[in-house]
Amino acid sequence: MSGSMIKVVIGPQHPALKEPERFIIEVEGEQVVQVTPRIGYVHRGIEKAMENRTYIQNLYLAERICGICSHAHTTCYVQAVEDLLSIEAPPRAKYIRTVIAELERIHSHLLWLGILAHEVGFDTFFMYVWRDREVIMDLLEEISGNRVNYAMNTIGGVRRDLDQEKISKILKGLEVIEEKAKKYIQMIQKEPTILKRTVGVGYLSSIDAVRYNAVGPLARASGVKRDVRKDDPYIAYDDISFNIVTRDEGDCFSRMMIRAEEILESINIVREALSKLPVGDISVKTRLVIPPSETVSRVEAPRGELIHYARSNGTDKPERYKIRAPTLANLKALCKMLTGIYLADVPVILAGIDPCFSCMDRMQIIDCEKKEKQSWTLDDLRRYAREWYQKH
Amino acid sequence: MKAKLADKILKWARTRSLWVTHFNTGGCNGCDIELVAIFTPRYDVERFGIMLKGSPRHADVLAVTGPVTRQVRDRLLTIYEQIPEPKHVIAIGTCAVSGAPFWDGYNVIGGVDKIVPIDVYVPGCPPRPEAIIYGFKKLIKKMEAEEDIE
Amino acid sequence: MNEDEIITSLKNRFGERVHNSKIAKPRRVYVEVDASIIREALSYMRGSLGFDHLSTITGLDSEERIELIYHIVCGNSIVVSMKTNVLKTNPKIGSISDIYVTAELYEREVYDLLGVRFEEHPNLSRLILPEDWPENLHPLRKEATLEQIKSRLSMNGDGINERFND
Repeated sequence: MSGSMIKVVIGPQHPALKEPERFIIEVEGEQVVQVTPRIGYVHRGIEKAMENRTYIQNLYLAERICGICSHAHTTCYVQAVEDLLSIEAPPRAKYIRTVIAELERIHSHLLWLGILAHEVGFDTFFMYVWRDREVIMDLLEEISGNRVNYAMNTIGGVRRDLDQEKISKILKGLEVIEEKAKKYIQMIQKEPTILKRTVGVGYLSSIDAVRYNAVGPLARASGVKRDVRKDDPYIAYDDISFNIVTRDEGDCFSRMMIRAEEILESINIVREALSKLPVGDISVKTRLVIPPSETVSRVEAPRGELIHYARSNGTDKPERYKIRAPTLANLKALCKMLTGIYLADVPVILAGIDPCFSCMDRMQIIDCEKKEKQSWTLDDLRRYAREWYQKH
Repeated sequence: MKAKLADKILKWARTRSLWVTHFNTGGCNGCDIELVAIFTPRYDVERFGIMLKGSPRHADVLAVTGPVTRQVRDRLLTIYEQIPEPKHVIAIGTCAVSGAPFWDGYNVIGGVDKIVPIDVYVPGCPPRPEAIIYGFKKLIKKMEAEEDIE
Repeated sequence: MNEDEIITSLKNRFGERVHNSKIAKPRRVYVEVDASIIREALSYMRGSLGFDHLSTITGLDSEERIELIYHIVCGNSIVVSMKTNVLKTNPKIGSISDIYVTAELYEREVYDLLGVRFEEHPNLSRLILPEDWPENLHPLRKEATLEQIKSRLSMNGDGINERFND
C-alpha cells in the first residue's frame, strides 16, 4: 500500500434503477477511509409546493414523493390530514389500506432482493424475482387500476372497495408468492455467490444501529426490534397479530434474509386482514378547510420509519408540511458501514440499505497526488468487484 | 452504390440492437422500476435487441425519467454529450414529458425537452411497461425512416 | 414511562423554561422550551428518559421567528415534538449533532431550506440545494414565494436559454 489517498466519486448517474445520488469515497489502497454523501439531485421542492396547493391536490403530490412506496407516503399524509380534521377513516377503509400497504411491502422487498442479486452478479436470481414480482403488480393493478401509483388513499378513506372476486384473486396470488418466497429463502442460504458476497459484509452492530438512528429492515437486521407497525400502531395493525422479524448478524446477508422473511410475514398480514375485513363504508365526508392544528404522523414504509409533520392554519392549504423519508435516516449508518471496508464491497452495501436514491453509475477516480481524473461506470465497479472476489 | 448498401446494413443492425442507457433526472422511481421491468422476463425487450447499458458511451438511446431538477441539468447534458452519434432520446413518464406535477417547483426546470431534444414521448404516471415498449417500437420506426447519416 | 410522566419530569428539571406542553393524543406529546436550554433539554431526554431516536428536525417560518421542532422518539412509540424558536433576523442555535449523530444531516437540511445557523456544527454546508443556488435565498421561508425564487434564479443566470436557444 503506497499510502496515497484516492478519491472515488460515485454518481450521480443511475445504475439499473433509482435516483441520482453521489458519494465521494476516499480510499487508501483498497480500503475506504471516508465517505461523503451528496444528496439533492432529486430535490423537487415538494414541501414548498405543498404549501401552495390545497389538501386534496397535495394528495397527488404525496403519492409522487416516491414511486416504490407511494402508498406509505399517502397513508402517512391522509393520516396527518385526518388527524388535523379530527376525523377517522371507517374500519373497512383502514383494513383496505393495510392490505395495500403489505402488498406494496412485498413488491418493494422483491424488487430489492432482485437488485441485490444483480449487485452480487447473480442475474438469474434477479430475473426470477422480478418475474414473480409481476404477480403482485397484477394484484395491485386488479385492486387499484394502476401498477405503481395506486391512488387508493383519499382523505377520509379509500377510493375503491374490495369485492369477493378480488379477494379470492389476492389469496390465490399470495399462495404463489408464498411458495416462491420460501424457495428464495432456501436459495439465499445455500447459494455460494450470495453467501460469499454478503456474509460479514457491511457489519453494523446493534449499538451502532441505535446510535446512528437506523430505521426499518436495516435496524432489524442488526437486532434492533423497531417497527412502527407494532410500536406505534396505525391503520389496522392494532388488530392484526404479526411478528417483527429480527436477526442478529447485522450484515448484508441478514438484511437479505430479513426482507425475504418479512415477505412471508406480510403475506400472513394480508390474509388476516382479508379474513377480518369489516363491512361498512369505505370513506367518510370531509371538509376542505382545516382549523389551525398540528400533527405528527408515522408509518412503517418498506424501508423503515417514515415521518410527516403537518401544521394547518385555518385555510384549505397547509401552513407547513414536512416529510422525512427513511433513506435520509439511514444515511449516517450507511456512511459508518462504508468506512473501513474494501472498495469491492461498496455496491453491495450501498444497495444493502435499499436506498431510495442511489445512482452509482458513473464514477470518477481522482488521484490526489497526480490530480488526474478518471471516469468509471457502475459496471466498471461491479466488474472490479467480481474480479476482486475471484482473486481473493 | 456500395456506400448505400453499407448504410443500409448499418441501419438494419442499429435498429435491431438498441442499447439503452437510463438517467433519472429527478423522478420518483415509479417510471424507473417500470423501465427496468421491461427488461425482465414478463416483458423481455431483449427479444427486440434492446438492452440496458450502464455507460452512456456504449449507448444508442438515452431513456430519461423524471422532471429535470436544477442540480441534475448539467449532468444530463454531460451524459447526453457522451452518447455517440447517432443518438436518440426517449422521455418516459409525464414528468419527463412536461415536468408535471412538479412544474412550478423552485428546483424544477421542467420537461426534459427544455435541455435535450427528444425523439419519443411516453406519457403516463408511470407509463405501463407495454407503453414503454410501444415507445421503443415507435423510436425504431422513426430511426428506420431517418435519412442516412453520411 | 408514559406521556404525563415525561412532561412532569421535564418540568421538574427545567421549571419555567418548559411551557405549552400538551398531549394531543396517545403517544403524541408537544412541548415548548426556551432556545437557550434546547441542548440541555435534549441531552436530558436522551440520557435520562431514554429518547434514543431523533426522527427529524422540522423548521418552520412563523412570521418574525423561525420555529424548530425536534421530533424525538422513546422506545419507538412515544413521539415528543420539542419546539423552540429563534429570531428570524439572526437565526442561530446550538447544534445537537454531538447528542444525536443523525442531527448533522437534519440540521444541514434546515440550514439549507430556512437559513438557520447551527453553532459548532461539524460541517454546516449545503445538503440538498444545487451548488449554484444563491446565498441567502431560503426556499421554505414565507417571504420567498415561488415567483420571487424564480426571478432571483433567472437573475443569477439560469444558463439554459443562452445555451440552447441559438
